[in-house]
Amino acid sequence: MGKQGNVESLVRHEYDAGFVTDIESDTAPPGLNEDIIRLISAKKHEPEWMTEWRLEAYRHWRTMTEPHWAHVHYEPIDYQAISYYSAPKAKKDAPKSLDEVDPKLLETYEKLGIPLHEQEMLAGVAVDAVFDSVSVATTFREKLAEAGVIFCPISEAIAEHPELVRRYLGSVVPTTDNFFAALNSAVFSDGSFVYVPKGVRCPMELSTYFRINAANTGQFERTLIIADEGSYVSYLEGCTAPMRDENQLHAAVVELVALEGAHIKYSTVQNWYPGDEEGRGGIYNFVTKRGECRGARSRISWTQVETGSAITWKYPSCVLLGDESVGEFYSVALTNNYQQADTGTKMVHVGRNTKSTIVSKGISAGHGQQSYRGLVKMLKGADGARNHSQCDSLLLGKQCGAHTFPYIEVKNPTAQVEHEATTSRISEEQLFYCRQRGLSEEDAVSMIVGGFCKDVFAELPMEFAVEAGKLLSVSLEGAVG
Amino acid sequence: MSRAGAERAGSDGIERLRRQAWRAFESRGLPTTRDEDWKYTDLSRLVATLGESWWTPAPETEADASAWEPLAVPGLEDARFVFVNGRLAAAPAGLPDGVRVTRLAEALQDQDEAADALGWDGNAPLASAFAPLNAALARDGLCLEVASGTRLEAPLYLLHVSAGGGAAHTRHLVRVGLGARAHVVEHFASLNGAAPGLSHPLTRAWLAEGAELIHERLLMEDKGCFHIGRLEVEQQAGSRLQSASLALPKGLARVDIVSRLLGEGAGAALDGLYLADGRAHVDHHTHVAHERPNCASRERYKGMVAGRGHAVFNGKVVVHPGADGTDASQYNANLLLSRHAEVDAKPELEIYADEVQCSHGATVGQLDEAQLFYLQSRGLAENAARNVLTFAFAEDVLSGLESDAVRRHLERAVLERLPGGAALEGVI
Repeated sequence: MGKQGNVESLVRHEYDAGFVTDIESDTAPPGLNEDIIRLISAKKHEPEWMTEWRLEAYRHWRTMTEPHWAHVHYEPIDYQAISYYSAPKAKKDAPKSLDEVDPKLLETYEKLGIPLHEQEMLAGVAVDAVFDSVSVATTFREKLAEAGVIFCPISEAIAEHPELVRRYLGSVVPTTDNFFAALNSAVFSDGSFVYVPKGVRCPMELSTYFRINAANTGQFERTLIIADEGSYVSYLEGCTAPMRDENQLHAAVVELVALEGAHIKYSTVQNWYPGDEEGRGGIYNFVTKRGECRGARSRISWTQVETGSAITWKYPSCVLLGDESVGEFYSVALTNNYQQADTGTKMVHVGRNTKSTIVSKGISAGHGQQSYRGLVKMLKGADGARNHSQCDSLLLGKQCGAHTFPYIEVKNPTAQVEHEATTSRISEEQLFYCRQRGLSEEDAVSMIVGGFCKDVFAELPMEFAVEAGKLLSVSLEGAVG
Repeated sequence: MSRAGAERAGSDGIERLRRQAWRAFESRGLPTTRDEDWKYTDLSRLVATLGESWWTPAPETEADASAWEPLAVPGLEDARFVFVNGRLAAAPAGLPDGVRVTRLAEALQDQDEAADALGWDGNAPLASAFAPLNAALARDGLCLEVASGTRLEAPLYLLHVSAGGGAAHTRHLVRVGLGARAHVVEHFASLNGAAPGLSHPLTRAWLAEGAELIHERLLMEDKGCFHIGRLEVEQQAGSRLQSASLALPKGLARVDIVSRLLGEGAGAALDGLYLADGRAHVDHHTHVAHERPNCASRERYKGMVAGRGHAVFNGKVVVHPGADGTDASQYNANLLLSRHAEVDAKPELEIYADEVQCSHGATVGQLDEAQLFYLQSRGLAENAARNVLTFAFAEDVLSGLESDAVRRHLERAVLERLPGGAALEGVI
């Protein structure tokens, strides 16, 4: 060892995506009350039932208290100091093509390395880009429309497909589910809506880039994905935010519904601003993600690479209702400097012969604190259900922490649950071996960590796997204790 | 409520401690399932059965030896202490050299000792709702001191008999000197036809450098008996704890085992076997705190859950900052044998140091169909095959017990509890 000084200099890397785009925002005054909610609803030209739905959520939220059971510490949040609505001013109300989109916005995406028109041609990915709460550009709509797939901002879905939205919105994560979900239900500004009809295999990966921009604006995304019988969809979510000094709250809700034989694959790369080396600033990421396998043989896979945010509170979960349905959770989470993450999953087995797999890889460096918190629940009717969980943690540094809190609850004598967890650091031997073969220390660490995360990266779509690998090695440069 | 009990103690110092402890308990109250530590164990049954003053000490009971003798583990008579409803009823004639035994009340005469003896850990991670209650109300118990260098081979046997009718708060203190070795067997059983009651024992042990303690805990109380027990061990450098918790109660039982590794190179091996059938509820919480470098801990808890039984295992390993060189492993396996049974497992790791090797595993499952088929193909009836495999599952832990007398006693007890298992007794 004895490389501590060197290591610290290597760990300290600037946040690559830190810049603020200068766009006029149409921002509501800070604070939350029924008028603000009506304002949000009115701005989005929502029907009466939607406004009522929001108000009901708000009224319930007011009766709730913020949860504090997670293994994270932060200053109390003043919910009345946050502005709950912010929309970028575009030239027209609804841009029909890229030319109509504010060039500043396009520039932002270019800086992030996701030029829309290039992606359109090269990657074959439709991007529904959310810039501060309002979707500004949507591509490949025609191609998706041909297949019958609806992929649009949720505000548009509320207007154009009210029957689908009313039927499914809040059916997986009810407005009363938890403090942050209730808040989201009351104030959500935008998000994506996906409906894949019966028997359709979505012709391309769907992706959204979320980005938090305007000062003091919480981001409250709402995503709803419905895969009808026998359909398949892969959805990609990637995030990056400009460097800021104040903590920003992000409380998204994602709901997935898989009907009989459907398969939803939901992948996330989260790279929001984690705060500086002293732990100042950074995003608070309090997210509720849940999927329901409602039909027999349906399947929901969550894959996440979490490298950003000052605080992460996130448990993408699966409720396995249909017989022989499958839930999967693959996660790589990294905490560096003063980042804190309390993340994991819940697998609730209700149907017969349901199966779930959990692979969680946690990497903790600097003063990072990381917890895996998971629940595997086998209900009485879950005959022949199976679960396997593997939670590994890698420690890089003297001041970091890695914790595991798995809950296993079994009420069925034919169910089988296996959980294993290990925690260790990169061994001197492994490093020595790589160094002795001529690799630099950073390359060696990067390679070992890459190997550690391999099982999860293998689940990511190609484009994301590349990005995730890059993110990880940048975040970890030299973080060897 | 009668605080008189807590205040009647001898000197002012002790009285103050007792009162502090009572207030600490009272301010927190009886834990509910909303407390993370009691999430799966509902104590409302305790209040429903024993009433609002469930903690009221049980009356003195005159139980003669013929009533409890059949409950005792045979072969351990030489160093046997018997407690009936928490009060010492019988003690051995003599003790091995190097062992000093006093009663709790006597030990409390010494003011310095009293603070230690009645102390409960207020530290958040180790805090327990019941430890202060025990400090406030424990009237009897033993203070066992094993002199430095003394190596005891035969176990000191503490038989606790519950006659019911109230709560038995006992408190034992075990001090094992430098390089000494002690073996303590604590056994909890109910008198035939005992009234409902609470058995609430707490044992604190201090292991000096290089000391060794073997602690075997047998929990075999009857249906009406609630059991809330705790073992807290503080270990200095190079000391070794070998603990086995063997729980086959028919009522509700909660056992907390805490090992604090306070000196370099200390080690703890925690074994457990639990059987919850009928309407039994067995909850184990273990906490191993690696507070210094280069300590090792190993944990293996196995459980069988049948009938309407409910088993809970919560194993926690905490590696404190600076505890480099920690080697910790934990394993929990559960056999779920019935439609109406339930298992809740929560193996936890909290790690604040980086040069560590920690792992845990937990499983819930059934007997292996292939193994069952194999035994049946060799001519065993299905039930016999099941019993052989279930017994083998338990034997994994039982075979590691230090005392043969205890092992045989438990093997018999396990077989008796398997449906038709008695038939196997001659075979195994």
